[in-house]
Amino acid sequence: MILTLFAVCALTFFLMNVIPGGTAELVLKHTLVGLEDSVSKEQVNQISSRYNLDDPLYIQFFRWIKEAIVTGDIGTSYVFKKPVLYLLALRLPATIQLAGVSMVIAILAGVSMGIYSALKENRISDHILRIVTLFGVSMPGFWVALLLILIFSLKLKLAPVAGYGSLENLFLPAAALSLHSVAAVMRVTRISMLETLGQEYIRFAKAKGLPLWKIVSRHALKNAMLPVITVIGFQMGSLLGGAVVIEKIFAWPGIGSLLVDSISARDLPVVQGCVLAIVTMFLFVHFLVDMLYTHLDPRIRYG
Amino acid sequence: MSLLEIRDLSVEFPAGENTVKAVSHVFFNVREGETFGIIGESGSGKSVIGLALLRLLPANANISGAVLFHGQDLFSLRPSELRKIRGKCISLMPQNPAGALNPVLKNRLQIEEVFEERGIDKKEGMKKSLRLMKKLLLKDPEKLCDLYPHQLSGGMRQRLVACMSLSFEPELLIADEPTKGLDPEAKEGAVELFTKIKKEYGKTMLLITHDLDLALEVCDRIAVMYAGEIVELDKASKVLGTPLHPYTKGLVRAQPRNGLVPLSGQSPSRISLPEGCLFHERCRYSGIECFRKHPEMKNHKGGWIRCHFQSLQ
Ligand SMILES: Nc1ncnc2c1ncn2[C@@H]1O[C@H](COP(=O)(O)OP(=O)(O)OP(=O)(O)O)[C@@H](O)[C@H]1O
Ligand code: SF4
Ligand SMILES: [Mg+2]
Repeated sequence: MILTLFAVCALTFFLMNVIPGGTAELVLKHTLVGLEDSVSKEQVNQISSRYNLDDPLYIQFFRWIKEAIVTGDIGTSYVFKKPVLYLLALRLPATIQLAGVSMVIAILAGVSMGIYSALKENRISDHILRIVTLFGVSMPGFWVALLLILIFSLKLKLAPVAGYGSLENLFLPAAALSLHSVAAVMRVTRISMLETLGQEYIRFAKAKGLPLWKIVSRHALKNAMLPVITVIGFQMGSLLGGAVVIEKIFAWPGIGSLLVDSISARDLPVVQGCVLAIVTMFLFVHFLVDMLYTHLDPRIRYG
Repeated sequence: MSLLEIRDLSVEFPAGENTVKAVSHVFFNVREGETFGIIGESGSGKSVIGLALLRLLPANANISGAVLFHGQDLFSLRPSELRKIRGKCISLMPQNPAGALNPVLKNRLQIEEVFEERGIDKKEGMKKSLRLMKKLLLKDPEKLCDLYPHQLSGGMRQRLVACMSLSFEPELLIADEPTKGLDPEAKEGAVELFTKIKKEYGKTMLLITHDLDLALEVCDRIAVMYAGEIVELDKASKVLGTPLHPYTKGLVRAQPRNGLVPLSGQSPSRISLPEGCLFHERCRYSGIECFRKHPEMKNHKGGWIRCHFQSLQ
């Protein structure tokens, strides 16, 4: 886990420096919006030496790592002139709120629709759900977002185009972000449920005279959820990735939009911090998934 | 009087353009208190009969005919009425105990639920089950209840499943291949188990097996199945002692203690059944008639046999 974090940090660090455009120059231009042309050579050099940007990359990287481990300081923003940790703490709640709500929607809607669809296998409602979710998994998130804005904000005027704070503001971004996950979770749930319902222990439970709802809730659900949980874990990852774009579109003040802004400003420490935060959340979710999996399947618990 | 009467039961499964004829025109009845065996090689349709009785086949199965239990047609029952029969009046001991136990639920819950939906106190039921488990040669039943199925041995799982199927004291027990996949020691245990069930409960049993030793040991009457049809039906001692039908003869000769002479050939494809007798390709007594005409079941000295030449043998 630590190794993963380290690798991801190194990768972002070097990738950011490969992108064309001198860091110091861009940072300066960003701070002096409107006066870009007046940036002088001395100013660039001044910035460069202040942040040691002329040192070789690996030295910069190890300096950053050392600082991070020894003092817990992961740098200071070039643009905002504030500690990165402070910026992250400021933006994190919004992202957690958006991603969390989207995930809850994905789990509740995806799982219940998947079960419903499995129980209605090959009936009309099953076919309709499958076609709809096929669109769900194949449409890119940003496109869904624009479509939702077009329909619900501009045409129907039911929800604000963008913003943060109230429940209304949450509605569209959460819908756009979760749609893909809802569809993906629904599809695995359906398949997994169908497979589970064909198992012999389901037949034996029927032979015991149990009603269908007990068979589904007690015998099928837990078994069928095992592969679904894995997919939910992966979805959480793609959800955090998707949040970067969705936050930008809806001007949602989370880590995602901070990341996009700081990439275009070459605000390296902030980029680094955002990536670190997202990856940490991702790993944390995977840890939870593993725990849950072990909890549900006694065959893993007792070997 | 017959407890169970099966009339012209046929089961087909759609397979692409074709249909698989799993069971064709099966008639038999099971008398109260008797143990009725169904034997035959793998794929002959034994399990499908057992599952069809309780309407446990997959939804795509095409079932025709009638199954009368106490004179009541099980195929015309509403789902709620059927649930009252399942597990209470007729219970099923499935073919594969390992697959029949839910891997993520503790054994206790899976035993207890037999008593659910029955207006019976679970604790009372559990006490009964524990007593039964002791009788069925399971040691330390209390502890066993707190384990998961995968923590038991094959023989123990078998007994546990047997206990689940018996603890409600059903009028009819359908046991599907109770000895399949067991090691010789556990197999002996299973024979002992069934003799015990039979003696102590006097229950009516439908025993599906291809273990002829077990069948001879515990069955009163036996039906022999070949390619979805019954080819011979009579007292167990007669069917296995002095078999009449050429297929049954082959089965008996293939037994280890009779020299292990295997039946040559394979049973016919169930999608396009051959004309004439279904067994004629493998039969060493076959004559011209056997290729042309499908033999009907005929009464012969108190038993039933499906062969053109039954009187010659
Ligand atoms: N769900 C199904 N779909 C299609 N065909 C099936 C299905 N279930 C059974 N069959 C077919 O029905 C025939 C009879 O199967 P069945 O399970 O009753 O055999 P069996 O006599 O119990 O054999 P075994 O000794 O292996 O248990 C087989 O040819 C099988 O392929
Ligand atoms: S009818 Fe003919 S082929 Fe069929 S079992 Fe009898 S003798 Fe053999
Ligand atoms: Mg079988």
